[in-house]
This record gives sequence, structure tokens and C-alpha cells, in this order.
Amino acid sequence: MTLLRNSTSLRRLRRPALASLTVAGLVAIAACSGGGSADPKASQGSKELTVWVDSVRLPVAQAYVKEHPELKVNVVTYDGDGNGATTMQTKIQLWNRTGKGWPDVVFSQQANDPVWMAQKPFEFAAPLKGLIPDDVLSKWPATSTAQCSVGGTQYCVQDNLAQVVLWVNQKLMKQFGYQVPKTWQQWAELGQKVATEHPGYIIGNIGDSYGHWIYLWGNQCPLSQLQGDKLLINSTDAHCTRVATMLDPLIKNGSLPPLSVFTPDFAGKFGGAKDKVLMMPGPSWYAQAVFDQTLHIPPGRITAAPPLQWDTETPVTTGQVGGGPWIISRHSQNLTGAADFVTYATTVFNPTGKDARPGYPAYAPLADSWLKAMAANPYFAADPTPALKSAADQVWGGWNLVTYPDQPEWSNTVVTQLVAGKSLSSLLPPLGDSLAKAAQAAGYTVNRQ
Amino acid sequence: MRLVARGLRFVILAAFAAFFVVPVIWLILAPTKSDEALVSRGPFAFGSLHNVALAWEHLDAFSEQIYRAWIGNSLLYALGATAIVLVTAIPAGYGLTMADFPGRKLILTLTLIVMIMPAATLVLPIFLELDALNLIGNALSIILPFAFFPFGVYLAYIYYSTAIPRDLLDAARIDGCGELATFRHIALPLAKPVVALVFFFSFVSDWNNFFLPYAVLADSQQYPIQPGLSTLLSSTPSFNPATGGGGQQVGIFRPELALATLLAVIPVAIVFLLSQRALVRGLVAGAVKN
Amino acid sequence: MIDQLKASAPGAVGAQATRKRGLRSLHGLAFTVPYLPFLITFGILPMVYALYLAVTDDTGGWVGVDNFTRTVRDYRFLPAFGHILLYTTMWLGSLVVLVVGLALLLHGRANRVTSVFRFLFYIPGALAGAASILVWLFMLDPAVSPGSFLLHLFDTDLFVESIAPGRLPFVFAMIAFWTGAGGWIVVMYGALNTIPDELEEAARIDGAGPVTVALRLKLPLIRKWIAYMTILAFATGTQLFVEPQLVNQASLGMVPDTWSSNQLAYQLAFRYGDFNGAAAISIDLIVIALIAAVLIVKRTGLFRTED
Repeated sequence: MTLLRNSTSLRRLRRPALASLTVAGLVAIAACSGGGSADPKASQGSKELTVWVDSVRLPVAQAYVKEHPELKVNVVTYDGDGNGATTMQTKIQLWNRTGKGWPDVVFSQQANDPVWMAQKPFEFAAPLKGLIPDDVLSKWPATSTAQCSVGGTQYCVQDNLAQVVLWVNQKLMKQFGYQVPKTWQQWAELGQKVATEHPGYIIGNIGDSYGHWIYLWGNQCPLSQLQGDKLLINSTDAHCTRVATMLDPLIKNGSLPPLSVFTPDFAGKFGGAKDKVLMMPGPSWYAQAVFDQTLHIPPGRITAAPPLQWDTETPVTTGQVGGGPWIISRHSQNLTGAADFVTYATTVFNPTGKDARPGYPAYAPLADSWLKAMAANPYFAADPTPALKSAADQVWGGWNLVTYPDQPEWSNTVVTQLVAGKSLSSLLPPLGDSLAKAAQAAGYTVNRQ
Repeated sequence: MRLVARGLRFVILAAFAAFFVVPVIWLILAPTKSDEALVSRGPFAFGSLHNVALAWEHLDAFSEQIYRAWIGNSLLYALGATAIVLVTAIPAGYGLTMADFPGRKLILTLTLIVMIMPAATLVLPIFLELDALNLIGNALSIILPFAFFPFGVYLAYIYYSTAIPRDLLDAARIDGCGELATFRHIALPLAKPVVALVFFFSFVSDWNNFFLPYAVLADSQQYPIQPGLSTLLSSTPSFNPATGGGGQQVGIFRPELALATLLAVIPVAIVFLLSQRALVRGLVAGAVKN
Repeated sequence: MIDQLKASAPGAVGAQATRKRGLRSLHGLAFTVPYLPFLITFGILPMVYALYLAVTDDTGGWVGVDNFTRTVRDYRFLPAFGHILLYTTMWLGSLVVLVVGLALLLHGRANRVTSVFRFLFYIPGALAGAASILVWLFMLDPAVSPGSFLLHLFDTDLFVESIAPGRLPFVFAMIAFWTGAGGWIVVMYGALNTIPDELEEAARIDGAGPVTVALRLKLPLIRKWIAYMTILAFATGTQLFVEPQLVNQASLGMVPDTWSSNQLAYQLAFRYGDFNGAAAISIDLIVIALIAAVLIVKRTGLFRTED
């Protein structure tokens, strides 16, 4: 092998070979040491619990672990399954196929998750009756419980409410000499005024993925109404069209831009020192999350006013943007532990100060103490809590949660076209069509009127 | 004329370089700014190193230092799988070039077909197989599927079939080396470039793989960095309003996200630098007997 | 003289070695054996299972082509296919023309500067998936992008306009090119390096200019690599998933989660539990990619050993 003597190949070969062996060895060690904390058998003992939470609910889980050192609680943080994601569907499908791996408790950011979790082909959610005492369950607002119920059975409890109120920049309102509107009509009038007297200022926005929950849900537009075993999606109903007629001139004159509150352009145009947000219909959790942390509007300006009424129609109804549900798995081997955790998370956990719960607690007694803390929050120009409290019971019950998410249909069919200059009135029929197709693909029988 | 040609070449290359690099420069500068400055100041403005330290603090604090676990997992999966790939794919590429054995065309065809199979369809059967082998939750549930790297086999196959002169190998055999020895002493060292290439692509592909770990791993503690980044993305209020209410507690905003992305890129950049030298080396010439 | 050298270059095989190949055939198989368990477990078996799913229903009963016809009628099917065909055309075009072109440009004058350029081209390749989308969410937003002047040139003042439906195939192709080109340039450059220097010398001595050397000498010699790249690019193009999925996530649904066919397959599988329909769509995608692959393999002789 004459060639061999000249080459340093033997030497060169040794190092990568050695490296490969080392790594292979590490791999073997890793394999033998098992899967770390993700042993799927973790919840089979009655003292063990596996809980899936998003990053915002992690402090709750950590607090529970601290208070129960005798329990083995496995806390898994995941992406929260929000905004129409398919995370939990993927996981549950795979767990169902192998017959193991389900966690005991899941928190979801997507309000309609419990609806499909309760039904075929997932059949994941456990009915809560019997797990959580009735007297505790009764302290959630009726609309909240309704959102968590499928066919009369309650499958979840909401962590927080997200009722829509009218956020108002009190300082600017006083500066311009405007009155806080009580009806949608007054609000729209102000929009016209603002466009001529103070162009550049806005009275709301309609570019978020949940715009329909703010403007259409609260005004009783039937885009998602269960009627027995059929689903009513009528986007040409008078309740819908009259809202569109009211909003179109405002979108046109710039006082209601089709922009999302979370985009850099929005903060740049209307936030910070510019402080051009005059009013904004939005959910309770906008409080500091949007105005302070996202838009960086200085303190002492913002407060909340009660939801707007349509003309003189009663009762006043409003929409809801979220309200994360807690779900217990029907496959859980530790249902009592799971129920205990959920009860703790929704009825007990209530720290103060900067670690305070981020959203309006759905459990009424907890809401009271949370509201007290918010009333004292120096960020707001005035106490926003009366408006928040009254709105909690005003969420319109004629909008039912269904197995498919409707935000993507609104974003895709309406928002993209609003930006392109079309009117909301012209977009209502395609919105209805798009929702109907999604509903049919999800297995619903749809009524269009 | 040649100067003009050279100048034109330079301009074209520089224009493309700008296209590739400018967004990365933005990314490098992003963690130096606060979230507010990120959207209000210019894209190339430099904030301060203090902001970077703050961003790291927030990132590290997220979910009890899970970011470090993600990086560690990525290293484990990528290095572990790549070690296996080197040992299986390179010899396979060689074997497929060297002679026409029964089943050779079949293996080549099947490898090509599998390479173009969509990941979404493969996930379920792979998941079921891993479950049958009782590997769910184990690091091997990621390393073993990653160790299947048909792209690497093809790289080695094409390399051996085009770059190594038949005459060189025949010369070795004339000298009296057996097959295995021929491989070890001639083919392997000469294949330094393809070993570097396969190592590189396997490592990077494993490092960047999102779908399989996302579907198969139940515990986010075990995630490698890609699904981890996506979890981070959904914890950023500006990309996920649903976390809006808890932004303050979670502490992940755009600069933290940018920092997380940047740090995740560094191991791949290192691997690239290390592989560069071996990639550039040309063929050994003059070993052929005439 | 070029032709003489070409004759003995890698690729032109003398007849002398052919006789010795008989025994070697089994040795060839032996080298392949460690790879086979992986090919079977993670390649062939899952594929067979997918085929099985595509022709059965959820109870395992045979349904023939029912899943295929059913999924074609889904209201999202045709739009998704339209999107990916458009996208793949742009993606392939940019790869074959720009990547090969850039690699040739780089190789034409290999020096320190070339290495720097090659490294710069590759840098984005290190960012994949979530990382690159995050960066591009800002690059496409005229309010914060360093390329905002370019965006304004295209009449885009808002991020929402950047991701308007008509623009998406181009935007995704651009992002895919940004992340993928560098890696392929590395491969092509490595391929170009396997060309012996003597050939180039000979060509230059013969009087060939750099463009002729690039197009007449180098290009044909790396055609196997280009073929390989084209096959993979076609497959990955039609199977686009990560970019639209992440833009869907980041745009909160403005870009639908069924924009590409692969996304539709994923939704069918996991949102509706319809694994059979998902498998049918995947088979559709593979068939398309296979047809392209067969055409390319035949045209370039990718599988021949004696070349």
C-alpha cells in the first residue's frame, strides 16, 4: 500500500472518528437516562399532576407548586394555542392515537378551544359538574358559563373576562371640550367632528383580528348563533349592516383606521408622546397592556367608560375579546387534583402589585378585590373600575363559540380589504360566505338567514 | 474591458451581499434598543450595551431559564444525529457509487422519493413508530429520525460519482488494498470536503428543524431552539395579543425576541466557519498511475 | 487539448475497471447497510403508511380514490395549489438563475474577497423558520424597515399591504431565497471546486474568456448538482409550509393557515382529524415532485454510475 505511507490520512481519520464516538457515547447516555421530566407516565399516580399553561399563567402554576410541596406537579409551558393555532389539536390527536400522554389540566388562550375539545374527534374535555362544587361554579357570570358550555354541559371555567368597554383619553377629551359619548351614535358623531377639527386623532381602530368581536358582537350581529343543531351566519342582518353603515364614513375619514393596535406603525402614529388616541372601544385587558406597554401613552390620560349603547335600545350589550378557559382532561387519573388546581387558579390566586393578575378575573369574588387594586392604580386618569364592572354582565349571549376560529376569516376577508380601501358594508357578504365555508368544513349545517 | 467586467462583478456581488446582510445587521442592532426605541428610532441606530444585558436578563428569566435548555437540547439532538449521519450516509454514498449491486437503483430511487415526502404526512407514522419503540419523551425520539438524512446520502453519492476519479480508486486496488481499506485510506480522507458538507448540512438541518420536535415532544423543556423560538414568539405581546395582559410579568418583547434569535444563530455560524476550510480544498491531484 | 483532458476527467471512465466490478457489487451493498435501517424506519415505512391512509377511510376500510376526489372539492384546495405553483416557479427561477450565477461569479476569481462574499451570502441561512420570519416581519414593515425606500417604491406604506394576497408568492419566494440561496451557493461552489485546475488552465490558454469558461466548461460539469438542486427545490417549493405558517401566526390570520397545499394537509390532519384526506393531498404533492424528478433524472443522467 504505497499510497498509504505518504498520507496523513490515518491521523486525520482518528480525530473525527474519536469525536463521533464521543458524541455517540453522549447520545447513549442521554438515551439511557430517560426523557427527563416529560415521562408520560407522570400522572398515573393519584398524587401527580401535569399542567399545561402559557407563559402568562406560569406564575399561577408556580405559586400552586409552592403551596403544595407534597404533590408532584409537572408544569409545561407552551404557546397557548391562541389566534386560531392548531397546537392543542395536534397534540390531542397524537395522544389519542397512542392512548396516553394527556395532561391533566390545560389553559388555552383561545376562547373556543373547549368547544371542539368536548366533541368528536377529540373528546378531551371533562365536564366540570361534580368536579367543582356548584356553589363555586355559580359565581361566574352567566355569559361566561354559557361560553364554556356545549349542549348544556359545562366543560371549562374562564380565567378572566374580556368585556368590551369604551376606553377614553380623559385629558384629550377635556382639552378638546368633548363629552364622553354614551351611545354609538354620539361616538360616531364625535368621529366626524374629530376628523374636521383635529385630524390625525382617532376614536378607535378596526384592524385587529378581533375587530368583529368589538363592533359586531356587541351590536348583536348574528355571525355565530347556534339555533338547535344549525348555525346561523347572517352577515346581511340589519344589526350588522347598520353598524357597517355607521363605521364606513369613519374609516374613510381616518378617525377609525383599519390598523392593528400592535403594529409598529400604530404606536408610531398614535402613541407615545404624540398621544393621538382620543377614544378606543376595547376589552378590559387593554388597560395597561395596550395603552401603557404597547402604545406607551403617558400616565394620567386613560380611563374606561361604560360600553356604548345603540341609540336607545336596551339592554346594552357588548362584545368579548378572549377570556382564557381552563380545561380538565377526561383522561386524567387525578381528577380531584386537577379540579383543585383549577379552583386555585381561578378563585384563590390573586397577588398584588406588579405581579397582579393581568386580566379581569372571571370569578366574581376575586374580581372585587382585583378591581379595588385597579382603582388605586396611578396609571389611569380616573377610576376605570365602575365601567369594567358593569360591562361584565353585558356580554351579548347571542354569539356562540364554535369549533372553528372566526378571527382568521375576519382578518383575511375583511381587514386586508379595508386596508385596500373597500368599505365594510361591501365586505359583509364575503365575510358571511367565508364564515359559512369554514363552518361547513367544520361540519356545521349553516343557515344564512 | 477586464476592469469593467471586474467592477461589474463586484457591484453585483455587493448588491446581493447587501440584500443578504442588511436584515442581519438590523437583527444584531435590535437587542441594543428598548422596545420603544426599536419602533421609533432608525433601523441602524445603536442603542446601548446595557439594553442587551437587560434583554438577556429577561430572556433568561423566561420560564425558569428554559432558553438555555432549548440551546442545550439543540446541541444534543444536532450533534448526536449528525454523528450517526456521518457514519451511515458517507459510506452509503460511496457504496452506491462504486458498483452496481442488486437493489442499488431501488435504494437511490426510494431515497429520492422519501426526500420529497411532505413532513406533515410523515409525522403521524413516525410518532406511532416511536411510541411502539417506547421512545416518546426520550431524546432518541428526535435523534433517531434526525439521523435519517437522505440529503446527506445524495450529497455523498454525487460527490463520489463526480469528484473522485475512477482511476485513483483503481490505482489503489491495483496496489492491493481490499475494499474496506480502500475506503478508509483513499476514499474517506479524499472526501474531506463532502464530510464537511454533510456534517454542515446535517447539523444545520437538525438545528433548524421545527416540525418534528414540535409535534413529537410533549414537554417544552425538551424542545430544541426552533419550536422554542415559536413559543417565545407567541409570548410576545406584539405578536400575540392574547398574552397582552401579562406582558409585564412575562417580560418578552421585541428586543428579547431579537436577542433570542441572534443567539440561536451563533452555533450554526460557528459550524459554517469550521466547515469552510474543508469545503474549499480541492482534489488531490497526481495520484493516478498512467 | 481541452477535449483530451476532458476525456480523462472525472466522469469519463476507462473500460479497464469494468471487469473488476463484479465482486465489488456486494461490497457496495455492505457499505450501504448501516443506512438501511434508517431508510426503512423513517422513510419507507412512514411512506407506505401514508399511502395506506390515502386509500382508506378512518376505520381502515378501502375507499379507492375517494379521498382524492373529496379533497379536490374542498374550497381551499385549488387556491392552495395555485399559490404553490406560482411560488415554485419564482423559487426555482431564482435558484437556477441567481444561485448558479452567483456561484459562477464567485468561482471566477477565487480569493480572500470571494470567501468573504460567500460567508456573507450564507449568513441568513443560519436563520431558519421562526428566526427568518421574525426578521422579515420587520423588513416588510415600511415603518421600521431599512429597506423602506424600496417598499415605498412599490407603493407599500403599511405592513398589511406588504403581505397583500397578490404579493405573497413573491414575498415567500424572496424569503426562501434569502435563507436558502447561501447554502446552495456553498454546495455549487464546492461542486465547482471539484473541477481540476488543469481544465481551467487549458481553457484559458486556449483563449477562452471568463464568461466562456463559466458557461461552456464549468456549467456542464456541475450539471448533476444543478439537477439535484432543481429536484429538491421543486419538491420543497411545492411543499412550502414553514413560511406561510409562521406568517399566518404572526399576522394573526391575515394570511390563512391553508395558503399552501401542505398547510391544508396539516389542517385536515390535525384540525379535523382527517388523516386520510391529508395523506391524499400529500400523495398529490409527491406525484408532482416525482414527475419533475423523473424528468430531470432522465435528462441529466443523475443515476448513471459510469459518468
